Amino acid sequence: MTATPATSPATASAPERPQKPKPSLTVIAGLVLAAAFTWWAAKEIEFSLRDLFTNFTNGWVVIEQFLSPNWSFIWRVWEAWVETIAISIIATCVGVLFGLIFAFMASRVTNRSGWLYRATKIFLSIVRSLPDIAYVLIFVALVGVGALAGILALIIFNIGIAAKLTAETIDAVDRGPLEAADAAGAGTAARSRWAVMPQILPNFLSYCLYIFELNIRSSVVIGIAGGGGIGQVLNVQFSRFEYENVAAITVAIFVVVLLIDQLSQYLRRRFV
Amino acid sequence: MTSSTTASARPATPRPTEPSKTKETLVWLGLLVLFGGAVVLSNARWSQITGIFTDGWRYLQLMGQGLFQNPFSEPYSEYWSLAFDRMLESVYMAWVGTLLGAILSIPLGFLAARNVAGPVTVQITRIVLNAIRAVPELVFAIILMLPIFGFGPVAGAVALGVGAIGTLGKLTAEALEGIDPGPVEAAKASGAGRFSILRWAYWSQVLPEVIAFWLYRFEINIRASAVLGVIGAGGIGSLLGQLFSRREWEQIGITLVVIIIVTIAVDSVSGAIRHRIIAGSGQKVTTEEKAEAAV
Repeated sequence: MTATPATSPATASAPERPQKPKPSLTVIAGLVLAAAFTWWAAKEIEFSLRDLFTNFTNGWVVIEQFLSPNWSFIWRVWEAWVETIAISIIATCVGVLFGLIFAFMASRVTNRSGWLYRATKIFLSIVRSLPDIAYVLIFVALVGVGALAGILALIIFNIGIAAKLTAETIDAVDRGPLEAADAAGAGTAARSRWAVMPQILPNFLSYCLYIFELNIRSSVVIGIAGGGGIGQVLNVQFSRFEYENVAAITVAIFVVVLLIDQLSQYLRRRFV
Repeated sequence: MTSSTTASARPATPRPTEPSKTKETLVWLGLLVLFGGAVVLSNARWSQITGIFTDGWRYLQLMGQGLFQNPFSEPYSEYWSLAFDRMLESVYMAWVGTLLGAILSIPLGFLAARNVAGPVTVQITRIVLNAIRAVPELVFAIILMLPIFGFGPVAGAVALGVGAIGTLGKLTAEALEGIDPGPVEAAKASGAGRFSILRWAYWSQVLPEVIAFWLYRFEINIRASAVLGVIGAGGIGSLLGQLFSRREWEQIGITLVVIIIVTIAVDSVSGAIRHRIIAGSGQKVTTEEKAEAAV
């Protein structure tokens, strides 16, 4: 694990070579455990790469279709793109707003009530532990297939991420302004707003953009489960085996994600 | 905001004027227009939001009913064990996929580090890594894995693995670029070969950080595997997809609780290991960090 630089003196009566440290028992136990778990997991899902070689021709047919994307299809589905971006904007705005409130509740710096702090932490870790697809499925069942289900699912998903990231930033703020606010007799809301908020604002804005990026990325997932947007178009084309169209959308998703990444990276660099 | 110096003897200094708020107001107005536009353009049927309050309550009750039944009586014992089985399948899928991506990302990480490879190689590798990062796993699964591996967890694992290469490769490269050059010089001075330098001077320094990234990716992949399940890669996602299409709310409640339990358990074990690897045994973990690792 650790590097042992060997000292090799050329002249002088050779001093004893330093002994190699004994391998630590914890590391060995960890490695054995990891190997055993890997073996077991691979066995349970019957993992083998044999199909990669035997069925490659199978896949090649699809890949060939993929390599000739139907470019005209990209422009025909621009409405779905507008929908995806609108969904992401709404979900980001609402999600980060609630996320901010939860973040203030999930940090000991701003939340002076012990039980409320612990309750918020537990609540947030439950929210974060469910995958985004589960939320989409739930909201599709509640409000029907369409953009609304996607928006609501992403809002819940965003609250979890925004609250976690922001709460960690709040934990690390400079305590000076807090002391000043306390000394001036500020209440919980006032000290959060005027002593903490200005300090975390740049980071918070950068998290907002990051979350917007994530939402564009997960638009595929949202659509597959019936949450509207470009993912839904992708799902329909996929189920009709129209791989040329799927390829065109895939390329478009790739370009849009890349563009939004660049834009948000540029903005984030300006904020922080 | 501003610290005012109070001079008691001298005549009161004028209160500093507040900075202009025009820019702030404009930004807020812009955001408002953007939000309003999005609300109109999203095609969402907003009136259906009432469904949350009418159906939501009923479904929640049904889910609760399933949860509070004796878990050892039929058919609830079956629901619980099926959910656990499928969730474990998802965990296995995520583990194998992460490992696959981790192994493949090592050479790419080295090739993308400026202090290891030449500038041309670095640029090309970075473009490849960024391209992989931009494509969602789901697309990998749809395009490549299902036609080749058929429906099942192997397709999911390979898709997760390929998807992980991009992020893991990038993080490995960044870790390699941040190493202390001392050991590299020492290895060179003692006449170490190219491979020995990479293995003992570079790799040893980044190993803890890289393993922490792998574990973190494993946590992410557990959630991602659920998504792949819905399109037919097996695991908990497939089960969820079936249950929701049949609206079996009692079983859905049990399944969601199983997902929450297993995910939180895996997250906290993996988080504790990550912490131990990064902080080392000598250092004391502060209470704040402990709290973070526990929750």
